[in-house]
Amino acid sequence: MEKLAATSPAGVLLDLSGVLILLLAFACLGSKLFNRYVAYYGAQSVVLSFAAAVAAWNFHSVDLWILAVLTLAVKGIGIPLVTRRLLVRRLALSRDTALSTGLSTSLIAGGALTAFAYLVTQPQLLPHGVVAAAVVPLSTAVILLGALAMVVRRHTVAQLIGWLIVENGVFLGAITLVATFPFIVEAGVFLDIAAGVLIMLVFASGLTRQLAEASAGELRELRG
Amino acid sequence: MTALAILIVAGPLAGPAAALAGARARGAGLAAAAGAAVSLIAAIALLAGQLHRAPLQGWNGFLYVDTLGGFFLLTVSGVTLLAAVGSIAYVSAEEDAGTFSRFQVRLYFVFFGLFASLMLASLATGNLGLIFVLIEASTLASAALVGLEGKARSLEAAWKYVIISSLGVTIALAGTLFLFYAGSALHLSSSQRLTWPFLFAHAAALAPAPLRLAFLLAVVGYGTKVGLAPMHTWLPDAHAEAPSPASAMLSAALLNTGMYAIIRFLAITQARLGPTFPRAVLLAFGFASVLIGVLFMVRRGNFKRLFAYSSVEHMGIIAVALGFGGVLGLYGALLHTINHALAKAVLFLGSGDIALRYRTREAAGVRGALTALPVTGGALLLGSMAVLGSPPFGLFLSELTIIRAGFARTSPVLPLLLLALLAVAFIAFARTTTGMVTGQPPELPDPYRRRAGRLAAAAPLIAGLAVLLLLGLWIPAGLNTVILRSVAVIT
Repeated sequence: MEKLAATSPAGVLLDLSGVLILLLAFACLGSKLFNRYVAYYGAQSVVLSFAAAVAAWNFHSVDLWILAVLTLAVKGIGIPLVTRRLLVRRLALSRDTALSTGLSTSLIAGGALTAFAYLVTQPQLLPHGVVAAAVVPLSTAVILLGALAMVVRRHTVAQLIGWLIVENGVFLGAITLVATFPFIVEAGVFLDIAAGVLIMLVFASGLTRQLAEASAGELRELRG
Repeated sequence: MTALAILIVAGPLAGPAAALAGARARGAGLAAAAGAAVSLIAAIALLAGQLHRAPLQGWNGFLYVDTLGGFFLLTVSGVTLLAAVGSIAYVSAEEDAGTFSRFQVRLYFVFFGLFASLMLASLATGNLGLIFVLIEASTLASAALVGLEGKARSLEAAWKYVIISSLGVTIALAGTLFLFYAGSALHLSSSQRLTWPFLFAHAAALAPAPLRLAFLLAVVGYGTKVGLAPMHTWLPDAHAEAPSPASAMLSAALLNTGMYAIIRFLAITQARLGPTFPRAVLLAFGFASVLIGVLFMVRRGNFKRLFAYSSVEHMGIIAVALGFGGVLGLYGALLHTINHALAKAVLFLGSGDIALRYRTREAAGVRGALTALPVTGGALLLGSMAVLGSPPFGLFLSELTIIRAGFARTSPVLPLLLLALLAVAFIAFARTTTGMVTGQPPELPDPYRRRAGRLAAAAPLIAGLAVLLLLGLWIPAGLNTVILRSVAVIT
């Protein structure tokens, strides 16, 4: 992948996908509704799967085609569907109130982190003119934005989405920086993410229920 | 030889098999212990057979065990055996008391076995990508153990653990990517470019800037699993809320697995960039961990949290030892790894027995353990002496080695600072544990229905302390050779 020029059609498409993925991370950071978090994450994963398909097409790599399909199926469709059904709807979550900063503050912090990502990755690491030089700063920024979302949000579901955005950022870096990453490892990472989401679903719904019961208990005690 | 490696990894799966077949706590626990014993014997056989031969390699680098890997396999399988025997006593007592349902017992043994097996597998592979996959998977399996009790507190601890560790390990994945990228110029196949022996052999041809970033990301990422400050925040909660044998596994096996991954990255980085940069990184994180661990040990309260902060401190000491470097520093780091693992396994298993009898995890609620429970109280007292580095136990020897390495390789300020922090740790830790073992004990119930339960609770404590004492008095020639050869592997 090191040889893919930024001006080739595939390079332009990858660059564009990277920008879209960053914008969707910002959209998620700037939103307050659980439904939106899931929707933006799903859209981001679809774009990511498109980026993987572009890389696969450019390199005629069967592994990357499989990864593109897996990304679409697991991250683009599976995880959003499951989180929406099992968490957002079943626990009747709508508006996220557990934010430790205001939305505008976190957006400004996000902007600063994006600038920081360019500062650290651009000059020394990557040769100019290759697509990785354009996309790796974007993917670093997405990683930092996901981490920021996990820091400023205290609700478990929001933190889960934040972690998934970090994963997407790493994955975007992976397909542009090192297209030839061994497939077994990539498949293992996928398995980990799927298993991780399942186990986090169990904990998140258990915790949300217990917290809801606890606050209902307080209400009863305060009566009369 | 390959068969031995498979046996090591598959051994702990006996427990899940028995639990899924419908065995109760005692049966599943016995199966888990038998499986762990098989792993330990196979690890010793592999080390013995390997000592004078080339490392075991196969499956395109996905299977790779050199002496360093063998040493960690030995440590982790030994800890697994102790914790599995402790689980027989602890889980059947909880089952008899009705605290654990049959479903929870089954879950416990399934995830205990998976956790052990995944950790052992991550030590038996040379592919750094696969190490990431297996360590993340072992995080998930152990998170299920932390949240097993299902109370709000344990769920919160499990959540904190799984989300912080997953984020950390994802950062380590980014580090692995940059390491892979650093090898772009090498004429190796793509899976060889992630395989440790190839990377180490061709370290001179790696690109320096991405390698530097890779090492930093790996230390931060895997350091989250190790519990290096300031990424340690999940550790005390998870250790306090998990069932005690699972805490022993977390502290004595999981943390070491993370450290093993850092050591692999360290070897490559040192070979390319020289010792200055990795030393600065490891000393900074190491001293921060020792400091944080010691400061939080001053606070009295939950004794499992105390032991957990002591783990942060000791992982910091190991990082400092790696930072000091040289044969002496690395020797001390590895010796300290096995000593700390044994001491912490004894302490957490002992804390399980105490929690069962006194039905509290607060140090203030525990009095007179030495009078009421001579074996457990004695193990607690001797175990804390050992973990604080008093002679004649093994940790005295390893800490002495590390401090000698510091004097030999850096300015004397750093080892002196370490000594001062260790002295504070001694006072803070002993203040709490001596209060627990002395005094008049209250009337205590006996949680074990059978003599076998009492025996299973006592056996790992006595065995662990005996080995610790042995390692303090005399390092067997075989172990000495293994550690020296492990050091040679990474320098």
